[in-house]
Amino acid sequence: MSENEDNFQSLRRLLVLKQYETPPPGYFNNFSSQVIRRIRAGEKVESATPLEQLFGSVFGLSKLLRVLDAKPVFASGFAGALCMVLLFGIVYAERPDLTPQPMLQPENASGVSLAALSPTALAQPVSQVGIVSSTNPVLSLPAVNANFGQQIPLAQPVSFQVPHF
Amino acid sequence: MIMSAPVIRPDGSETPAPVDEGVLVQQARRGDLESYDELIRRYQERIYATIYHMTANHEDANDLAQESFIKAFQALKSFKGGSSFYTWLYRIAVNKTINFLKQRKNRIHLSLNDLDFNTEHNPDLVALISEKTPHREVNLAELQEKLNEAMLKLSEPHRLVVVLHDVQGMSHDEIAKVMDCNIGTVRSRLFYARQQLQALLTDYLK
Repeated sequence: MSENEDNFQSLRRLLVLKQYETPPPGYFNNFSSQVIRRIRAGEKVESATPLEQLFGSVFGLSKLLRVLDAKPVFASGFAGALCMVLLFGIVYAERPDLTPQPMLQPENASGVSLAALSPTALAQPVSQVGIVSSTNPVLSLPAVNANFGQQIPLAQPVSFQVPHF
Repeated sequence: MIMSAPVIRPDGSETPAPVDEGVLVQQARRGDLESYDELIRRYQERIYATIYHMTANHEDANDLAQESFIKAFQALKSFKGGSSFYTWLYRIAVNKTINFLKQRKNRIHLSLNDLDFNTEHNPDLVALISEKTPHREVNLAELQEKLNEAMLKLSEPHRLVVVLHDVQGMSHDEIAKVMDCNIGTVRSRLFYARQQLQALLTDYLK
């Protein structure tokens, strides 16, 4: 065996180089605390109430939170991904080529006014009619009492055909 | 660090004696995380180094070392004390690393740690880079990379034997216990692994 050892003298000298590969300074200062934190996080999940366990298992949140808590790299990656989604949402929402679609078809499209379809609606008080969601309003809302007794009329520009009774 | 009764030095000063490993293990088995923290501190460098030399990747070694300690804590109740805690912990780390490497297969990504500045003061290593090798002259960083690439070409059991013996200085007997095989197997694996390495690194050896 000693002859074999002699044969590999220079290789063994070269392998000594591996002993000089050291992790970044201070790496081991936080190592044990990170392990203990991960153990505690695992115990917390095990000792969670059945409701918490159900919530965690249904949404996978507890696992995700544990991973994020244990590995800051994942946490920053996750936060970055959320920011990207948010930015994409803002940019997409503000695209000029996207026009909002009306909830009700414009009158011209059908040729019949909304008021003509339901003439009784005009006769009813607004409180009974309720708020009509439309980009093409057909109702004039009553004036609103402002401060100091002033009357502020609520007028909206409308364009509709007068119903023929 | 957890200490027991102080030890009186010959000069009369007192230093706290480190707690016996067996006591720490018993306390950790009962869920005492402070004791387990002390056990981690004792072995973190050796466990990390073994995994790092097997993977040649700092991030992987960090993850695997942490997971090994977590798994060991969870399995402490099954630790019978047939071997030392150190050997038992090593086995967990080694098995975890080998499983990881099998899953990773050929997707090798080197993430090497920097060389300690003392490297340049090692006469053997200085001789390797200052004297012209048969084919080329290299610097330490290049030599480090070539050495790691050659190591990764070995099979996991062969690489492990080289790491434990030639890098970490473990005896054949200790390696046999960690790898759960006989000493003859350790010796033959070491011989074969060195032969392979020598062939791979022939340009860089005198």
